[in-house]
Amino acid sequence: MNLDAMRRHAPDEAVDAVVIGTGAGGAPLLARLAAAGLRVVALEAGPNFEAARFGFDETLADEIYWTEERLSGGSTPEAFGGNNSGTGVGGSTLHWGAFTPRADRRDLRLHGESGMGLDWPIGHDELVPFYERVEAFIGVSGPQAYPWDPARRYPLPPVARNAPARVMAKACADLGLCATDAPAAVVSRDFPQEGGGTRHACIHCGYCHQGCRNGAKTSMDVTYLPLAVARGAEIRPDSRVHGLEQDRAGRITAVLYRRDGRDHRLRCGTVFLCAGAVETPRLLLHLGLANGSGQVGRNYMGHVATQVWGSFPGEMRMNRGYPSSLISEDMVRPGDADFAGGYLIQSLGVEPLTWGASVARGRGLWGAALRDYLDGYNHVAGIGINGETLPCDTNVLTLSDETDALGMRKAQVSFGYGRNEQSLNAHATRTLKALWEAAGASDIWVLERVAHTIGTCRMGRDGDEAVVTPFGQSFEVPNLWICDGSTFPSSLAANPALTIMALSLRSAEAFLGGLGRRPG
Amino acid sequence: MPDPAAEPPVLFCLHLLGGSAETWDRVAERLAGRLRCVAIDLPGFGAAADLPGCGVAAMADHVAARIAALAPARWRLAGHSMGAKVALALARRAEDGAPDLAGFSGLVLVAGSPPSPEPMAEAARAAMIAWIDAGPDVRRAEADRFIRRNTGAPLAADAQARAVADVLRANPEAWKAWLGDGAREDWSCRIGVLRAPALVLSGTEDADLGPPAQVALTLPHLARGRHVTLPGAGHLLPIERPAAVADLIAGHAAEAPAAVDPGPPLPEAYRALIASERVNSRLREVLLARAAPDDPAHQPVALDPVALAILRAVLARVLPQAFDGGGRIDLAARIEARLARGGGDGWRFATLPPDAEAYARALATLDAAARERHGAPFLALDAAAQDGLLASVAAGSAAVETRDGLGAEGLKLWFEDLRADAVRTYLAHPAALARLGYGGIGAGGDDVDRMVGFTQVGIDAPEPWEPAATGERAR
Repeated sequence: MNLDAMRRHAPDEAVDAVVIGTGAGGAPLLARLAAAGLRVVALEAGPNFEAARFGFDETLADEIYWTEERLSGGSTPEAFGGNNSGTGVGGSTLHWGAFTPRADRRDLRLHGESGMGLDWPIGHDELVPFYERVEAFIGVSGPQAYPWDPARRYPLPPVARNAPARVMAKACADLGLCATDAPAAVVSRDFPQEGGGTRHACIHCGYCHQGCRNGAKTSMDVTYLPLAVARGAEIRPDSRVHGLEQDRAGRITAVLYRRDGRDHRLRCGTVFLCAGAVETPRLLLHLGLANGSGQVGRNYMGHVATQVWGSFPGEMRMNRGYPSSLISEDMVRPGDADFAGGYLIQSLGVEPLTWGASVARGRGLWGAALRDYLDGYNHVAGIGINGETLPCDTNVLTLSDETDALGMRKAQVSFGYGRNEQSLNAHATRTLKALWEAAGASDIWVLERVAHTIGTCRMGRDGDEAVVTPFGQSFEVPNLWICDGSTFPSSLAANPALTIMALSLRSAEAFLGGLGRRPG
Repeated sequence: MPDPAAEPPVLFCLHLLGGSAETWDRVAERLAGRLRCVAIDLPGFGAAADLPGCGVAAMADHVAARIAALAPARWRLAGHSMGAKVALALARRAEDGAPDLAGFSGLVLVAGSPPSPEPMAEAARAAMIAWIDAGPDVRRAEADRFIRRNTGAPLAADAQARAVADVLRANPEAWKAWLGDGAREDWSCRIGVLRAPALVLSGTEDADLGPPAQVALTLPHLARGRHVTLPGAGHLLPIERPAAVADLIAGHAAEAPAAVDPGPPLPEAYRALIASERVNSRLREVLLARAAPDDPAHQPVALDPVALAILRAVLARVLPQAFDGGGRIDLAARIEARLARGGGDGWRFATLPPDAEAYARALATLDAAARERHGAPFLALDAAAQDGLLASVAAGSAAVETRDGLGAEGLKLWFEDLRADAVRTYLAHPAALARLGYGGIGAGGDDVDRMVGFTQVGIDAPEPWEPAATGERAR
């Protein structure tokens, strides 16, 4: 993004707040704090990209993924990098799929409903106004009437349904499932962006996950960050935080980061740690900070994100169009469930390298069978879920003995499905296969997959059991706030980014409303 | 001044352990008029038996001095057994631009000792080291037995006598130095992959340095290596089969070097799409760069040349290429280059070591499994046997006990990574995208305010410019 006219603070100038990370957690609150007149600096580990230079190429897109190595273990090891972890000004929103369902009301009360999982310490009603503000600001396209939430209105008409969405729509109709156009943070028509210029309408290029070139897809660098910069915030790219200085009372007094091979010290009043559910706990564990509860790194969650693939007689050319343009929320609470929670269903179009690598890994094909199956790319379409994962003691992020270039120990994540996830997955797999059979697919196969990074610094009401308060403030270090997917007490069935943005605004306003004041 | 073009090219010839320049006599006679053979006594052998024994580098120095003294405009280098290892070291120096070795134009390796430590039973090595210092009768009997053991069929009496005499003439210190040290030196990384045209000859009855050893240990170092096996022959090919060896050498010297694989051709329509304004400049540049031919002498950094060759063989089974118009993407070189750059994908299985190490150890384990199951290196197996091994790797049942190997479960996870790496590398190539009929590259050019994108996103609704699939599915 263009930072030419950005306000720049002197290197030794103390600021009111430092925001670590410029993704869905950091960017909205950065804009909000700047608008309130605070001196704020965001430190982004990755570079500042010029979106027009993104290449429409899956290999070139490696530049927007967090490719520093993480160790993935457990019974269902999760892929990181391009699967869920971004880098650069805009963070993971540079590559996210822009699929923006809201959390289902029941998912925040899962324990109350089922006796399993954990209830969120905040109510759905508190989130709705923030959802509405975020959706209006970033430009979410969606159906006129949302079947599972009649009160909801989307600011923009839906994006076009691509071929996978069309076969899924027909299959859902045949099987009596309700499906509709997906809520997508992709502007379906030219959109005047508050704080920025006009964002062009989506051109259906299909490269959401490789970086949107014309700003049609919401990423933080075309929405909240230009607004933040317009309100006086500074963004420092290529700035990797590795330390936090504290005074005797435990308050953070400065952030230490490395830029261009040199270490810098940025004095500040408050720190907002928004580095995502892997790097946030990794930094805290590295520093031994804010972990009196012992909860930092605990209850790591990835969504159950199984996909079913099939070949169709007609040409799908699934690379075209918004990749996930159809949704069904009918399975958020299936009537015949033998598990707590539920899952969303979405149609899937995937670019060839990502899809082909999934074929090679997940279907296990090799030899001429692999080559010949890849040849059929233009006839393939997919359908997938995003399903609830319960917090679990054995799913943890720890520090490996191996270190990175900065001498920080690498993150090691151990993740595995429990009985609830297995039952949910079995149900979903049956549903997806039935849909694809109804759609007329042949050569149907199942790809087991885990998506997103959630948990590890849960919010709660009690400092003995949670890392941060329901507003994201550390129980132990009063001028430390966390705002990203790490604070989720449970995974929710919904994809996390919209909720992260809503919580980011909520944290900013709680801070501005007085919680940020120095005690005493 | 004689016309240099009229002079027959020079072939410098290096002999085996216990041989001498004379080992090459009958080959040289047969080549007369076609190639001028200059056979050299290596330090400690033949007429140079007064010199002490030495290792590969000192032998190479000795030969380099002889070559520099003669300084022919163009010359080739032939090495037999021990001499082959010296020849490989010299070829590396020549390809690195050593001024005293200018004019090097080809390599002949005859029952060659490989760049890596020579495969040899330790008991045999110890026995050979012991008898060379024994009394005359024992020495003569053992030398006679040594020559007999190394031929496919008994030599004529005079040839046998000459060969035995050469052994007895050798400086025992040089004999022991080679067996104890020279043969054990590991030159595989230093020699890397040689670019020169190379002819590899092996006899099917050669126990340690026969065809499987050449395929597994020497050919991986030769970008343009051609391997010819001589049925029924043993280790002493220049003595056993001088006519055949001479004719093969002459034929190889006369033939044009093998052309570089130009890679799969891009269909004209796809090339036109790449050139069109629908494709942005940055993408156009990388697509054309990926379509450029691979360097056949890709120098591996993260793997040794043998591991790279095994990886190439594995990838030929994992993702066999079948492009119209032929041509092959060197997926192994491209994956190895990524491993060498250290550019990962952001994660690895916690139970595997870092990527480059996982590849090296997995490939070594696979080779060990081949030797255990089939008694032959992976590279010497036929396609069906290679597939069988890979199937057991995929199933997690390929356990083999080696010092630095991966266990069955590790191999299985590595094989998953490998398959994904193979596909990502393959599909990055525009010829593969053309096979799929993939139109995504044409979604928009340089002007982001006027990108064309797709107006059609439905079923059976190709835009007029979108390519049709040409792969198996389209037939």
